[in-house]
Amino acid sequence: MKSYLDLVSLSTKVNRKKSRLTRICIILAVFLVSSIFGMADMEIRCQKTMAIQDDGAWHAALRNITAEQAALISSRPEIKTGSFYACMNYRLDQDYSIEGKKAAICGFDESFLDLYPAAALKEGQFPQKADEAVVTQSVQKQLKLHVGDKLQLSTPDQGVLTYTITGFTGDTSLMTKWDAFGVFLNREGYLRSFASETLAEDFVYYVAFKPFCPIQKILDDICAQLSIPETQVSQNTKLLGLMLQSDNDFILKLYLSAAVLVVLVIISGVLMIANSLHTMVARRTEFFGMLRCLGACPKQIVRYVRMEALCWCKISIPVGLGISVIMIWGLCAVLRYLSPSYFSGMPVFSISWVGLISGAAVGILTVLLAARSPAKKASRVSPLAAVSGNAGTIREMKKAARGRFLKIPSALGVHHACGSKKNLLFMSGSYAFSIILFLAFTTAVDFMHHGLTPLRPYTPDLSIYSEGGDPAVSEEIVEKVKENPAVKKCYGRLYSDSVTLRQQDKIRKIHLISYESLQFQWARKSLVEGSLIESEEGQGVLIDYPASQYLTTGEEITLETAQGSVSLPVTGVLSDTPFNNSTGVVICSEKLFSEITGIHDYAVLDIQLNRQASEQDIDELRALAGTSLKFSDQRSDNQEVRSTYFAFALFIYGFLFIIALIAVFHIINSIGMSVSSRMPLFGAMRAVGMTVKQLICMIISEASVYIAGGIFLGLLVGLPVNYVLYSSMITSHWGDPWKLPVSSLSVIVILTFASLLPAVAEPAKRIREMSVVDTIHEQ
Amino acid sequence: MKLVKVDHLCKTYGTGEAQVEALKNASFTLEKGEFAAVIGESGSGKSTLLNCIGGLDTPTSGKVWLNGQDLFSMSEEKRTVFRRRNIGFVFQSFQLIPELNVEQNIIFPLLLDYKKPEREKVEELLEVLGLKDRRNHLPCQLSGGQQQRVAIGRALITRPVLVLADEPTGNLDSNSSKDVMELLHQASRRYQQTILMITHNQNLISSVDHVFRVHDGVLSDLGGAYI
Repeated sequence: MKSYLDLVSLSTKVNRKKSRLTRICIILAVFLVSSIFGMADMEIRCQKTMAIQDDGAWHAALRNITAEQAALISSRPEIKTGSFYACMNYRLDQDYSIEGKKAAICGFDESFLDLYPAAALKEGQFPQKADEAVVTQSVQKQLKLHVGDKLQLSTPDQGVLTYTITGFTGDTSLMTKWDAFGVFLNREGYLRSFASETLAEDFVYYVAFKPFCPIQKILDDICAQLSIPETQVSQNTKLLGLMLQSDNDFILKLYLSAAVLVVLVIISGVLMIANSLHTMVARRTEFFGMLRCLGACPKQIVRYVRMEALCWCKISIPVGLGISVIMIWGLCAVLRYLSPSYFSGMPVFSISWVGLISGAAVGILTVLLAARSPAKKASRVSPLAAVSGNAGTIREMKKAARGRFLKIPSALGVHHACGSKKNLLFMSGSYAFSIILFLAFTTAVDFMHHGLTPLRPYTPDLSIYSEGGDPAVSEEIVEKVKENPAVKKCYGRLYSDSVTLRQQDKIRKIHLISYESLQFQWARKSLVEGSLIESEEGQGVLIDYPASQYLTTGEEITLETAQGSVSLPVTGVLSDTPFNNSTGVVICSEKLFSEITGIHDYAVLDIQLNRQASEQDIDELRALAGTSLKFSDQRSDNQEVRSTYFAFALFIYGFLFIIALIAVFHIINSIGMSVSSRMPLFGAMRAVGMTVKQLICMIISEASVYIAGGIFLGLLVGLPVNYVLYSSMITSHWGDPWKLPVSSLSVIVILTFASLLPAVAEPAKRIREMSVVDTIHEQ
Repeated sequence: MKLVKVDHLCKTYGTGEAQVEALKNASFTLEKGEFAAVIGESGSGKSTLLNCIGGLDTPTSGKVWLNGQDLFSMSEEKRTVFRRRNIGFVFQSFQLIPELNVEQNIIFPLLLDYKKPEREKVEELLEVLGLKDRRNHLPCQLSGGQQQRVAIGRALITRPVLVLADEPTGNLDSNSSKDVMELLHQASRRYQQTILMITHNQNLISSVDHVFRVHDGVLSDLGGAYI
């Protein structure tokens, strides 16, 4: 033993049982933070991998810039990769083809392959000469080509161009979707043949920045220095968002919400640990008094308590981290299993250093913060506490207990709870935090419901639709579909994009769609404001959330078509419609739609199937679409979305379950500790004739005061926090107004009250088994 | 040489009707190496006197000088350091640290002063205390007398000029009490330490140099060799 602080480790080893609950608190706090950060890290990694695969690893794209500007940009030290890129027939609307199949021609530098891993070379090498090309694997398979073969590209103006194939790349999603061929040339080859025909906006300079650069600042700098208008710059918002580099308003609000949740978790951890440390200190007043008698100064006592708290971290932090790693592995595996396509990039047995470091750092920080107040309290213990012999058992009370309204045991319990306002605030505050945390994280559930587009009531299994939204699904087809026994529900939408909306002096083109009775019925859940009745009766129109940015409920608008014009009020706003459009959608009844536009046939017919529907039934329905209409089978997509939704639900509800569990555990723990610190007093009370039942009644009333205070404080702060988070995460994006979260509120309040039972059960058992003589002797 | 000088020491607890005068104008001196005892009934003010002299409690008025230094003119921090270097405490209930063995309990005050224990001094003390073969025992493995000897060793390790003992034999049988008294006498003689002991046991004061009585907060000097 070389220092007085060595006593800490010796004492920790001997008093392992006494500090068990405090150590569990630390483990839980570390586990919680490490799991949040770890899972967020894994999800970000997964999303990043998928975003890079889908959209590329570029960060910004600058359109229509000169070669000099591009050279200046690429010479900047922050740029990791810069590549020229241009594309011809990207929209597949021109007559560029290979053996009759539409082809898109792209030209880029070899470095572009780093920015777009989906197009990485599978075989061969990048073209070095102007008459060389690489093609997508689908071309290779369909035309049975090899490296060195000649490829003939038919063009509308230059006849047939011949290229030597130098390699093959992976198929891009666009090429696969439209069953088209991709031909990739180097910059020289592209510019030689297609420069004059390419639209200016299709010349793009893609850049990727080095890690940890302030991308938004650098982009502003580039635009200012090279006089590039902001409209020419687009960003890979998804990837930047995942790199925490986005300046997108919605993403920034999400960051802020995540930060608020993390701060809440830390505060909750601090309160939970501080609470148990306070009780530990209160139980050892005499010990600290003795140290003071032996000559320990207050600073040394502070150091002692801090060191003791850190000593618990030595085991608790690794255990918390270990559990979180196992939990993360399990969750990742479940997510991958439930939704393989959405979470294919999810690492399985990977370690999240972000999670581990943040968990450990937050653990130490939380413990040090939590130890501050108990350490000060311990340092203020008078050395007399050791000499007087009754240290800590007689607490200073300013008022006597009031027994007028309550029986004396309950009055004493209430008095114990309210005797020290600081203690009451501390206990109630720590319970309140679990409630605040629960209410805060509840918004993640609403976010999941909105963000993950779970299966809506209107989600179809099959759709028959016309290309371009023409009114081509005739009444006859609708009737035939309805006659099919496999069809459970069938509902269609009329559609027109040639309606002009006149709003006072403003005119804009809008998308007009119709709802029939089923869709009006389903729309009730997404009605944000107004009512459905008028629009269902053809007396008004509904609008979706984007349209509500320029239209308000009650406002009179005029819809103009070739048939004439009609003036109607806007009667309601929907947060969600089957037709997603950023410019907004106006919805009316079928009858009104036909009156305005003269259109009677559906553009889309959605079908929901019975469970018994067979593949033969599907084939029959497909046959109804014929060749003039498109047929879409969304059953596997729906299954995928459902799995994804369940996977997320498992994650978020699992998290809420852990928070609720922590709330219960914390209540049990703190009531247990509070009782332990009063055991000698309870012994004395038993000695003077108080029955076990009366003592338990006293503990129940004390615990009830703390819990009631906790619920009051929790609601007082939790509801505004819930409101703020809901507004920034959901209202600002989907328009749904905040509502009192009745179900979550009921769950946490009932749970908090219910924890009173297990919280009192253990102390009650101890009191029943207590030896009065021994307990008084301890005093 | 006057080691302890207590001058018109008063201590009052509470205010108004609840006011209790625990000590009334107590004054006395103690020589270096003197062994003094304070006797009196329960609640007479003996412990208050001891706590004030030890700097554990602050008097309402009056002064305490130890080795020429006014205890209560110092800051709390300075007084703590002064106390750990100059005053040793022995309690009735031993107050040993249960997690530490005999040797560790004894050297603990030195560690609080950031000093390295000198091997020979520790060995000598263990020899004097008769605890050499028990040095690795925990307090729970010792008898009451042995525990009090450890507490005395802990009080002596810093070689304080004053040892304050609050009923050191209160929890001990007669044989152990005799041992403890012998140890305290030895300390007084061998290390020239001044000992002030509170006791209820009239038999113990026959061997001390000086006896004081406290009755209702008033200190009276009964002189040497009381019986």
